[in-house]
Amino acid sequence: MSRRVRAWVLVLGGLGFAALFAAACAGLPHFGGDLHPYGDRAVRAALLRHTANAVASVNFDQRAFDTLGEESILFGAVLGTVVLLRQTRDENRRPPAPAPVAAPVRRYARLALPVTLLIGLYIVAHGQLSPGGGFQGGVVVATALHLLYIAVDYRALERIRPVGLYEVGDAAGEAAYLLVGTGALVAGAAFLANVLPYGTFNTLSSGGTVPVLNAAIGVEVACGVVVLLARFLDQAVEIEDPPADAPEGAAK
Amino acid sequence: MSELPVLLGLLFVAVAATATVLVRDPVRQSFLLSVLGLALALLFLLLHAPDVALSQLAVGSALTPLMVLLSVRKVRRRARDERREEQA
Amino acid sequence: MNGWTAAGTALLVCGALPAGWGVATGPVRRRVVAQNAMTTLLSLVFLLLAQGFVRTAYQDTALVLAVLGPAGTLLYVRLLADRLAAGPPLSRPLSAVTPLNYVAVAVVVVPLAVVTDPGRALVKLLVIGVLLVLGSGVAGRAVAVAVDAGHGPRGHI
Repeated sequence: MSRRVRAWVLVLGGLGFAALFAAACAGLPHFGGDLHPYGDRAVRAALLRHTANAVASVNFDQRAFDTLGEESILFGAVLGTVVLLRQTRDENRRPPAPAPVAAPVRRYARLALPVTLLIGLYIVAHGQLSPGGGFQGGVVVATALHLLYIAVDYRALERIRPVGLYEVGDAAGEAAYLLVGTGALVAGAAFLANVLPYGTFNTLSSGGTVPVLNAAIGVEVACGVVVLLARFLDQAVEIEDPPADAPEGAAK
Repeated sequence: MSELPVLLGLLFVAVAATATVLVRDPVRQSFLLSVLGLALALLFLLLHAPDVALSQLAVGSALTPLMVLLSVRKVRRRARDERREEQA
Repeated sequence: MNGWTAAGTALLVCGALPAGWGVATGPVRRRVVAQNAMTTLLSLVFLLLAQGFVRTAYQDTALVLAVLGPAGTLLYVRLLADRLAAGPPLSRPLSAVTPLNYVAVAVVVVPLAVVTDPGRALVKLLVIGVLLVLGSGVAGRAVAVAVDAGHGPRGHI
């Protein structure tokens, strides 16, 4: 196919897509209107399964398979970062000099760290009841740990952050999601079907598998973000570049 | 009148997003990125999507600026080391 | 649109948007101070909107912002310390931002606390208020210390 023909194919495809997309948009319910065909069905299904937060029900029950895809994307992204930002053989580590931090800031960090951690866990645990869930809470938990770098010292962070353990946690969270899905298969239902008892509406133990999957995501996201930031921090704070005259092949 | 907050939110997001793209210096960009993150969170909340607003806040308020600034620090250090070697 | 939503919109237009302009332009120390003001004020806007929409669950956004906002400011202070120290001392308007934050927190949280029935929502509201005051105070202090590092008796660090 010549360049010209390919360009024509692209134009044709683009126009076709634009026409179909415009037609589809014209068929959408109007913004802010009273007609919500999908929303009504999703909310009905959520209430049937005793999940107060309909969004959590869509994410972790009705469309739990999509969430598995999203979780895997994050997992893959963290893995890619770990490979790209690893310490190569000719790079040296130099422990960073302690940074001066004002005393009130340090006191605030000591207070804010447990509070932030608690808020993160609260957001994970209440995912089936109120806005939030594993992803949001997981990121908050990971950020809480990094208050130690921001407001105390890098070495304080390193002490509570054995990266290996968090790497295991990242993988375990990802695996737990798959295992819960497979558990449904064992119980005789479809993959990731909500097989657990639904519990009492609007209590912590409601929603069947929703809180379990939320917890799995929470572990995966919190550990994944810690591992991700650990690589960034290592590169920015500790690892030094190889000398410019190093032989080309040394980096491999 | 009842649409005013949503309109303001949309306008805020549009301005912040355009400004973020137009600024080229990464450090300044990280500030604009955090403004954009907050604007998006506000818009999501105004549209009654608190789950998405929470995601945006969690990622945008500390995590993204940290990653951007750490990358800047790494690149700066590399440039400084190279300059030092040239002087030596 | 009820009174609470209107108040939230007003605080957005008069407080958070100007703060956003301060974050987007000017020298680094002004940006950092404005960033702290913006997260504080936006958290208050979220509280007002939650009350206006009659959805107490929306408070969680304000709660998360109340802890992550100061973390963001401290992060800028930590990683841009050299730039903060390089500039002139904090001007008076910039030093006044933290007290203004306190005033805004009081003006918003106290009426909300009055209309909220005793219970979990009220406790959460008060916790958010305390976190906002603490976070704003510490962030303001951190900026001042970082800027003074270039001028104080200790000299350059």
